[in-house]
Amino acid sequence: MSNYYDLDDILADGEKVPCKFNITVPGLGYLQGNPGKPIEKDTKIELPFWLAEILAVCIVSDESQQSFIDMIDPEFINSKVVNAIKSNPTSVDLHKLLPHYYKLIEKWCSMFSDEQLIDNVMNMLKERSFEINSFANNVNKQVNSEFIYTLDEFEKKLFKQTSESNKLMRNWLKE
Amino acid sequence: MVLPTTLQGNLMPAEINFLAENETVTILPRYSMKKIELIGTPIPPLRAMRREKVPLWVALILKSQDKCNIVPPKWLNLAYLKEKHEEELRKPNQFSDLPWHWQEIAKILLARAQDDLSDPSHQLRSVIQDLREIRLVKSRKGLKELNESNISLNGLSLLEINELRPFVLGVMNKLRSLHETTTTSKEVDEDMAEVSDDDY
Repeated sequence: MSNYYDLDDILADGEKVPCKFNITVPGLGYLQGNPGKPIEKDTKIELPFWLAEILAVCIVSDESQQSFIDMIDPEFINSKVVNAIKSNPTSVDLHKLLPHYYKLIEKWCSMFSDEQLIDNVMNMLKERSFEINSFANNVNKQVNSEFIYTLDEFEKKLFKQTSESNKLMRNWLKE
Repeated sequence: MVLPTTLQGNLMPAEINFLAENETVTILPRYSMKKIELIGTPIPPLRAMRREKVPLWVALILKSQDKCNIVPPKWLNLAYLKEKHEEELRKPNQFSDLPWHWQEIAKILLARAQDDLSDPSHQLRSVIQDLREIRLVKSRKGLKELNESNISLNGLSLLEINELRPFVLGVMNKLRSLHETTTTSKEVDEDMAEVSDDDY
């Protein structure tokens, strides 16, 4: 799904997500800031996605079906954000929310397969990309819209590619 | 690769312009010339005042030496293009069919063979501009309908597709990978089911 050398993918993996420990782990207290101590059961803590992903899937032992941690719904998919996405996709500040929003949604949903969320996000992408396209078409004019600053990393790339393609075309027409 | 990423999957307008020069046009030679065997399109023997079809680049060379007149293609005149423009207006959800290289050929001929065209070049230019703009607006509107699996580009020319390509590919790829996250788990289940069926 993702390229091993993709920097954006690596950065997205480093995003922290909230988790809850299901068991007490000795010596892991430094995650919380008290080194040498164990990390208690039911501690809530933020872990990078790449670590949480594995710990949430691995089971502690064959007898119990329990995993090391449970993942708690992170901020970027809470009902407030989802409602904002549903009501007006173009006014959501994705960059502030999460610079690698789509990547993380992808990762999240490939773990939990949340169809409702994917539908919403796909709709948002369609609406926002339409907007991006119209912005990319008049880069010469002053872009004094907040919208450009709310793009996430993928959208920024898209914007750049689109405006470059338009620029080449305009230059050719002028020749 | 050394090429910048924007050029790796996409052609430059100048490259498409180059490709368009291999299209054949009809010329009216003023001199005779033996035929030339080429790997691509061979050039037939030319005889003065006998119409012959040659690649555009040959026509341009001959034209620049005043050795031929170029017969403009049947779509490059005001009446035809105006009619196409009307058609575009009449059918808001469809592109009229224009040649695969219409913009490039029109541009080349307007620049290099103005005197051979049947209509004044400024009028041709403006109707071509109108056509381009209305088609651009339409294709923009069509982008609202983007989805993860397919896109219909009927009637668009290479240059127009090429302009859209980076944007459309980017969005569609993202949509696809988002969409896959919900479908793959089901497919895996189905695959598992098939395997277990085979086992019995």
